[in-house]
Parts: sequence; C-alpha cells; structure tokens
Amino acid sequence: MCTFLNRLREHFTDVLYIFRHELVKVVKDEGVLMFLVVVPLGYPLLYSWIYNNESLHETPVVVVDQSHSSLSRQFINDCNASPDVDVKYYAEDLDEARSLVSRQLVRGIYLIPTDFATRVSRGEQATVSVYCDMSLMLAYKAVYQTAMVEAGRLGAGINIKKAGNYTKREDAISAQPLAVDDVAMFNPSGGYGSCVLPAVLMLILQQALALGIGMAAGTARERHRNGQLIPDDDPHYRGAYRIVWGKALCYGMIGAVAAAYLSMAVPAMFSFPQLGTGWTLFWMLLPYTIASIFFGLTVSCLVRYRENVMLLMVFVSVPLLFMTGVSWPQSSIPGYWQGVSWIFPSTFGVRAFIRVNSMGASVSQILPEIRILWIQAAVYLGMACLVYRHQFFVSKAAKPSAD
Amino acid sequence: MRYLTQILDIALRELGILWKNRIYGFCMIVFPVVLVLFFTTMLDDGVALDLPVGVVDQDNSATSRGLIRNLDAMQSSRVVYRFANITEARNAMQEGKVYAYLYIPEGTSSKLLAGRQPKISYYYTMTCMTAGSMAMKDMKTIGSLGSAAVGQATLSAKGATPAQIKAALQPINVDAHMIANPQGSYNYSLTTVFVPGILMLFMALLSAYALGMEMKFDTGKEWLARADGNIVVAILGKYIVHALVFLLVIFLYQWYIFYVLDFPRLGGVWSIVRLSLLQVAGGLGFGIFAFGLMPSLRMSMSISSLWSVLSISMCGSAFPVAGMDAPLQAMSWLFPLRHYWMIYQATVLNGFPVIDVWFHLVALVAFTLLPWFVLSKVKNAMLNYVYIP
Repeated sequence: MCTFLNRLREHFTDVLYIFRHELVKVVKDEGVLMFLVVVPLGYPLLYSWIYNNESLHETPVVVVDQSHSSLSRQFINDCNASPDVDVKYYAEDLDEARSLVSRQLVRGIYLIPTDFATRVSRGEQATVSVYCDMSLMLAYKAVYQTAMVEAGRLGAGINIKKAGNYTKREDAISAQPLAVDDVAMFNPSGGYGSCVLPAVLMLILQQALALGIGMAAGTARERHRNGQLIPDDDPHYRGAYRIVWGKALCYGMIGAVAAAYLSMAVPAMFSFPQLGTGWTLFWMLLPYTIASIFFGLTVSCLVRYRENVMLLMVFVSVPLLFMTGVSWPQSSIPGYWQGVSWIFPSTFGVRAFIRVNSMGASVSQILPEIRILWIQAAVYLGMACLVYRHQFFVSKAAKPSAD
Repeated sequence: MRYLTQILDIALRELGILWKNRIYGFCMIVFPVVLVLFFTTMLDDGVALDLPVGVVDQDNSATSRGLIRNLDAMQSSRVVYRFANITEARNAMQEGKVYAYLYIPEGTSSKLLAGRQPKISYYYTMTCMTAGSMAMKDMKTIGSLGSAAVGQATLSAKGATPAQIKAALQPINVDAHMIANPQGSYNYSLTTVFVPGILMLFMALLSAYALGMEMKFDTGKEWLARADGNIVVAILGKYIVHALVFLLVIFLYQWYIFYVLDFPRLGGVWSIVRLSLLQVAGGLGFGIFAFGLMPSLRMSMSISSLWSVLSISMCGSAFPVAGMDAPLQAMSWLFPLRHYWMIYQATVLNGFPVIDVWFHLVALVAFTLLPWFVLSKVKNAMLNYVYIP
C-alpha cells in the first residue's frame, strides 16, 4: 500500500514537473508564444473586424435606358432607392456599360429595351435584362434580387391599375392571393460575419493549439541532447503517461482561457449573435478543447521538424473550415469527405458551437456532437499515449548512438 | 556568361535540395493536387442540391399537399420531415436536421378559395448562408407559383390566351445574364480563389523556409560562395527552380479546371499564362521579403503563414473589400492574393483587357521586386547569423 502511494505521489510530482517545464518552454519560445497567445488573442479580432459590416449595401450598377419612358424611370428610381443597389452611372449602350464593368466601377448592368413601356401599355410582357458580374456572389445576388423584387413590385402595381378594384384590400388580394412570409432565423440580416465567424473562432482554437503544441515539440527535439522528443537527461521524463498528462495540463490551462475568450468575449465585443448559455457552452467546449489538445499532442509526434507542423496545419485550415458545413451545406458534402471530416475535432466543435451560440440549442440538442467529441478525446488520448510510448522507445534506442 | 553558369550551378544545387527534402515534394506537388481534388469534388454540384427541409402542414388539404410536392420538386429542396407543430420543427432545425421549414396554417385552402389572402410562412436558417439563401429562393418561387396558380385558373376561365396570362401574371420579366458563370456555380467561384490562395501560401512559406534552412544547417556560406558572394545571382539561381516547379503545378491546375472540368472563362490562354507568371513571381517575392525582414526560420514562416491565411479573407472574393472598413480596404493592397484575384476575375474570368486592372499588375510586380530592399540583410544573415533553435 505504502509503495503504491509513494509511486502515485512520485507520478504526480513528475506530472507537475513536466507541466511547469512545458509552461516555461511556452513562455520562453517566441514562436510557440505567438501561436498559443498572440494568434488566439489577435486573429479573432482581425477576422471580426473584416466581417464586421456583415452585408453589402449599395452595390454600384449602370443603367442603359433605351426606353426613356416614365415607367423605365420609375423602375430605375425604385432600384436606386433599394438598400442593396446604387445606380451609379447611365450609359448610352451596352458597350459603354461593359467598359464600366471592365474598369471595376460597377458590378452589373440593367438594360431597359426600347419597347419596354410600349409592351406594358399593350398588355404584353415587358423585359428588363440584367447582366451580372459573377466574380462576387454577394454582389450578383444584390444586383439580381433587387431587379427581381422591383420588377415584381412594378408589375403588381400595373396589375392593380388594370384590375379595377374598389378597395385597397381587394388590391392587396389580387396582387398576391397567397401571402408568403419568409423569416430568416438565427441570423436575420443574413450577415456574412454572423455566419462565418463562429466557425472561424472554433477553428482558430484547434489550429492554434495544434500549431503551438507542435512547435513546442519541434523546439524540444532540437534542444534536447539526443535530438528526440523525450530528453534522456531529465529523470522526470520517465513514463509516457506522465508526459502526456503533464503536457495536457499545461495546454489545457492555455486552451481553457482561449476557449472562454473565443466563445464569450469576442462575439460580445463585436455584437455577433450569442444565444448560448454559459453552461451549454461549457459542456460543448470541454470535450472540444480536450480533444483538440490530444489531437495536437498526437500530431506533434508525427512531425520531425517544427516547421513541418506549420506547413501541415496551415494548409489544412481552409479545407477544415469547408468540411464543417458552414460555407458549404453539410448535406451537399460528398460522403468520402464527410468521412475524412470525422478525423478532426473541429468538424464537430464548429457544428456544436454554431448550434449553441447562433441557434440557441440546448445540451440535449447537440448531444450527438458532444458524444463524438468525447470519443475523439478518448481516441486521441489513447493515440497520444501510444505515440509517446513509441517515442520513449525511440529515445532509448537513440541513447547509445547519441553518446 | 559567368553569371549564367553560376545561376545554373546554384539551380542544380537547389534541385538536389528539393529532391532530397521530402517537405518540398509534399508542399509543391502532393498537397496542391490533394487541394485541387478536394475543392473540385467537394463543390462538384456547383449549387447546393436537395437540402433537407421540413413541413408543418396543419391544413391537410389538396392545396397544401400540392405546395409541399412543388417544394419537394425544387432543385435545392427535399422534404424529409413532417412536423406536427412549429416547436418540433424549430427543434429539428437546432439539431441540424433541416435547413428550413414551411408552415401551412389551418384554413389556408378555404381562405384561398374565399379570396381572403391566407398566409403561409417559411422559416430558414441563415447560419449557413449558401443553404439558407438557396432554400429561400426555392420558397419564393413556390410562393409566387401558389399565387400564380390562383390567377391562372381565373384568367383561363375567362378565356385569356397563354400569352395574355403570362403578361397578366408577370407584367415585367427579368432576363438574367450571369456572365461567365451561367449556373451560378460555387465551384467556379470558390475553387478558383482557394486553390491559388493556398498555392501562394506555399510559395511564401517555402521561399522563407528555403532561406531559413540554409541558415539552420549553415549551408548559406557555401551557397553564396557558388555565386562569388553575389546575392542577386544566388537568389535568382535558387528561386528559378522554385518558380519553375510552381509554374508547372499551376499550369497543371489550370489545365485541369479549364480543359478537363470545363470551367467557364472569357479570357484567352495568354491571360492565364500572364497571371500565373505574376502569381509565382509575387508569391516568391513576398516570402523572400518576409525572411529578409526577420531573418529567422520560424518567425519568417510564422509571418508568411499568418499573412497568407489572412489574405484568403482579405482578397475580397467572398466578402467584398468594398464592404469592409476603410482601413481594411487600404490594407488589402498589402496582400498579393488580392491583386491576383482582381486580375483573375477581370482578365481570365471576364476577358477584359489587362490595362483596366493595371494597378494590380503593377502591385504584383512590386511584390516581385520587394526582396531588393532586403538583399543585404539576407546576405548578412547567411554570413554572420548563428541559428538558435
């Protein structure tokens, strides 16, 4: 019994020693410090700032009015008065308008043909041609949808005049017998930042931890006398489990602060949606942070030089964001990429966070994601222990040759 | 002539380094290939198809079932759930099972027949904008079709011709021309930014890495000796190999998307070649400059990577630069990818003359020449710095 207690105490001493040692390394290494402190602190602020304006208003367009009628002028005025489009130029013909697009002065062309008003007066269908520059999806939507809405409204007005109704109510019913109310939920303004930023925040957490842990491990390899991850001249580093636990404690401490900052402080600073309660966020972030740390520890063993972890993790960050289903819907992601996405904690961390933070989901509603995150945490813990055990043997084997 | 032999000598030396260090092979060839395949397969549909949506049908009439069938038949929507009430539907949305749901209250069809303007509601989540806006578009169509069906029945009963009905239902038609991307495909607009963006990230990272490694393994002196201490010759010889490999990869990528996948473009082959040359030169120039600013392997790589990742947002292909705050608009000039993308969309995608985006072209040339300012620092670092892990 006594020996057991002694061994336990010895184990804990080692864990705490490694914890302290790791923390000192983090603070002293400017590269690691940059990824573990500067990136989680500064990057979210920068991204929030980029997307802070949320949506695009007053997209510049050019009008080619060949109709020169009061109806065409009304259409142009209506478009100009809409929030999303600004009629910036008038052009004589399509070629002139095209040169304005070419010089990036406008994002679209409204062409109103000569017979526009005539056809309406005759009771025929008139046409407005809209030419969209497709290089910017948001601008295309603004240009096209504004034309659709304004043409519809103008058309409804024409219909009402022709209908010869007696009351306003009759006008409304004849214009739209079936009323449709569309309600955008959880991000009512359709803001780009409110949509993408929560995902970016969670991804930053995983990437910063993986990069920081990987760089620290790379530095350790280069500093150690034997050129291995585990030093042979430090008696405290004598078991894989204590190393994994000691390191996890250190990064867990940093990760906890970063997670709290990313999930609570940043959205509040920039007034992004925040519907989640503190405890729901806690139950979601706990497995995510743990899984990310063990994921980082596992990855850190696989790379020999610390620069390589940077090349690897930076490269995967954009595909990772894609696989979370925030910019491309999850239901449209091909099955094999969905399978690949299960490797990374960020996939489920981001999904759970969006549901809690932006959609106000409760713990029970994100239970599947939480379960997977715990499974990932357990699997990566096991893998981290395995790879460190392997490192242990490698270091021992390397010892004679190093001397 | 002497310079040329020196450049060739250094280039051959560099080729040996690229061959031996597997990192180069991975970052220059394997990762880009994976990346191209990732984006092109991920976005193969172009637009989001068959998004799962739900319905709350409390009317249970032929009309409501007709609306639901119409919704199910739309390109982007697939009705997968029927909920008893709104709360159930909202819960399913929060659980991520549906992107949208249609609510048809009781009495819709009877009110429609009586001409009392019933109201149906459509709820969609904008936490995934592609899904939300596609779902909304489908629903808008369903709504106007629902209204049109009523008008159409009345008009044809009165004996109107099809042309009259068309004009009466929609007096003004919008004829949309989606230049160079008629399907509105996200594959065409996203792949063509992300792949070049990450390639430029690798260019910047690897060019800083290549110089850092010379310092780390203390081979910089030998490298400079081969150029007789002439740093310009040394740099040219070293990076000509990088440039050629990257150019090869980029041409392969362009060939794949434009000739195999048939991405639309209005610009000619020359516009692609010109852009690729500028892209490689600017990307490498930026990396060398980053190293010259901070002649340390890890700092220059960190700066290059953070800057390059940021450039994917700052190039303004998803959220336009014009919508950002003024300081950010000014800052966007400092990102090579921004200029790449501006030239790409003007000359390659839309086929406009390059003179209209000449300032972006000049900017990329400027990025190519940036290393000029730090040449002496790079030389000094190679000769005098000691690598500290």
